[in-house]
Amino acid sequence: MRRALVLLALVVLPVRGAAQSSQFGVRGLGMPGRPLSSYAFSAGGAFGLFDAQSALNPASLGSLPALTAGFGALQDFRHVENPAGTRSLRETRFPHVAVAGPIRRYPAVVGVSFSSYTSRDFTLATADTVILRGVLVPVSDTFSSRGGLSDLRFAAAYRVQDAWVFGGAFHVITGSNRLRERRVFADTTYQTATQSSEISYAGVGVSLGVIRNFGPAFSVAATARSDGHVNVDRDSARVATVDLPYTFGLGLRWRARPRLDLASQLIVKTWSGANSDLLAQGGTGADNTYEVSLGAEYRPDLRRPARRPLRLGVRYGTLPFPLVPGEQPHEFGVSAGTGIRFAQERAGIDLGLEHVWRSAGAFSERSFLVNVGVTVRP
Amino acid sequence: MTGRWRWAFLVAVATAVMAACQERLTSPAECPELCPGGSAQVFDTIVPAVALRDSSFPTAAEGANGYVSRGQGTALLLSSGFAASEDRAIYRFAPRGDSIIARDTLRAYTVDSAMISLTVVARDTLVNGLKVYVYRLPSTVDSTASFAAIDPLLTDANLIDSIAVPDSVNTGTIRTVLRGADVARVALPPGGDSVLAIGLRMAAETPTGIRMGALASSSAASFTSYITVDIADTGSIQHQSLSRVTAFNIFTTQNPVVPVDSLLTVGGEPSSRALLRFGLSDAFLDSTTIVRATLELVPVRPIFGLPTDPSILQTLAVVGDLGAKSPLTSDATFIRSDTLPAVQGDTVRIEITRIVQLWQSSRTRPQSVFLRMLPEAATFARAVFHSTRSHVSDGTDVAPRLRITYQRSFPFENP
Repeated sequence: MRRALVLLALVVLPVRGAAQSSQFGVRGLGMPGRPLSSYAFSAGGAFGLFDAQSALNPASLGSLPALTAGFGALQDFRHVENPAGTRSLRETRFPHVAVAGPIRRYPAVVGVSFSSYTSRDFTLATADTVILRGVLVPVSDTFSSRGGLSDLRFAAAYRVQDAWVFGGAFHVITGSNRLRERRVFADTTYQTATQSSEISYAGVGVSLGVIRNFGPAFSVAATARSDGHVNVDRDSARVATVDLPYTFGLGLRWRARPRLDLASQLIVKTWSGANSDLLAQGGTGADNTYEVSLGAEYRPDLRRPARRPLRLGVRYGTLPFPLVPGEQPHEFGVSAGTGIRFAQERAGIDLGLEHVWRSAGAFSERSFLVNVGVTVRP
Repeated sequence: MTGRWRWAFLVAVATAVMAACQERLTSPAECPELCPGGSAQVFDTIVPAVALRDSSFPTAAEGANGYVSRGQGTALLLSSGFAASEDRAIYRFAPRGDSIIARDTLRAYTVDSAMISLTVVARDTLVNGLKVYVYRLPSTVDSTASFAAIDPLLTDANLIDSIAVPDSVNTGTIRTVLRGADVARVALPPGGDSVLAIGLRMAAETPTGIRMGALASSSAASFTSYITVDIADTGSIQHQSLSRVTAFNIFTTQNPVVPVDSLLTVGGEPSSRALLRFGLSDAFLDSTTIVRATLELVPVRPIFGLPTDPSILQTLAVVGDLGAKSPLTSDATFIRSDTLPAVQGDTVRIEITRIVQLWQSSRTRPQSVFLRMLPEAATFARAVFHSTRSHVSDGTDVAPRLRITYQRSFPFENP
């Protein structure tokens, strides 16, 4: 019990939960997060609906044999191109933390996780010239945003023999967004102007999931999630309510060979529900999104399957918030990874690498993501 | 090291490298696509001073009672044909008795020679051929001295000596030494008040002025007598020097600035200060980010200063608005000092952004500023500005005003 409390405390500690940031997360609610463990990340997310350490499907908790805590860190090396220029960026994030464990004497597992829902971490620099007192004065504007929406999930799964696993979860969607606009004038008789604002978010959601195992070699997973809406407060005053999407997911997993697992996944989100709310706030709206993933895990040593597995994945998806109305961004990623287990399989480290290309019209970026996950079974 | 541990080591190193990476988040952006909410808009507005509530002190009725009296400043003015003013300087030394105590006995002495030392505080370094003339004045000279009363006394009959100031000397001590018969020019006859008073006038190749040392800056003139005591002895007791410091100093101006209630006088002797009041609304202060605030003052006539010796026009935030005796801030952040050029004929513009921002952050602070000329009562620059009571024939707005450049609240996008 004490160990569980410690792990729970680790989960609720204030961490900077965020997915990889992007210029395609500047508008709307930001860049959607992917609540995946490093294991699922390495395979393009294809195993996400079956992975107990990921937070896509509450039914996936059913496969967890013991109390397990997982923590992920993500390093993003990004090269951005847009009509204003190019720039290489980098940042570090901690996108996903999860703790879960079985309930004694019951075929059930409960867990809690904290992950990014959307990320609004960015800093944008623009240059302009304005006429002040009849004189042209060059100015430099820096608009920065830190924060985003986070997803605190309380989930449970129940196994019905070995064939079925059912799961349900309650989501608390919370977070804040600190915005700052800073203008510097080339003529230093004009003083630097800084303005800031803080936006906070609050909402709740529920999700249901199921996994059907057709023997040890083939499984199907499905999930559905409703997040209702999120209330948006700016500097403590309610300014908007934005509808959040329904999420539907379907995944397949097939053990093609004893050493080889293959998986595929489709996630659909109805972000267009937020379109009218965002347009009413002066934004560029939102579009429905989908993400298709294909992945594989190869285990060289069947006696010790956790010894240096090789994971590969590929994914393609669309992003919800266009920079230009009608021009929906999309992304394509190729990933690989591996991991080790040690201390009698009580601890493990997974390493995932992904190269992602994103684009929409004249805006594009390519990103190299390094994901390190630590798993502990106390 | 086993293969497993090698893996663990490599992963740990990779983790450490990632954790050590410095974040770099700033990317270029183009509006409107990457400008959520839009861009900051900058506006300009002119805010006149509150009508009929700007004043300078002393008023015309109190003209003799300024902040710093004539002669009590850090320098005395001396000029010849200078556009700013025509001035004469006056020093009165402490009394020098006709006998001194030597070996417990009061003894008479004779003056062998005498030296008068003066201090040049500032001059126009571009004007050559500077000469200072030293005249003897009646020892009764005091603060009631006027230019009309003093100038006729500065004649050859009263001339003590003239001091040629080398062109290479911009500041420092100049002196004249009187020997032999010339000592009689500074003689203090027995039975008199034993007080020497001198007046100064000057000449140079072109009209100009200089600023001379004064009591307030411990740089006033001194009068030293080298004497022989009537005693049968040789050495230091018989031959002594008696030094007398300045007991009183002042300068007289031919056409002093006289305060006019419908104008704002800053500087002069006695020195005047001006108080300006503004009335920015709470709505304006609440909703704007002020990036520049400029106080604009229109001079009634050009302000002449001594070239290469600039005067300072200082603007101070007011702690509490009590009129002429308002307490002024001592916080350097809210004190603006502007150097005036040798001739200021155009509108004077003073950047007081910090002061206006102070009004934004603390509504209890009065929206008032004080103006003063430094060094007070010791500079040739004397400013007279139009006030809110002023009217010019061509209808031009000449009242004091604030030109404020500001940004409205940034339209942050929700969300």
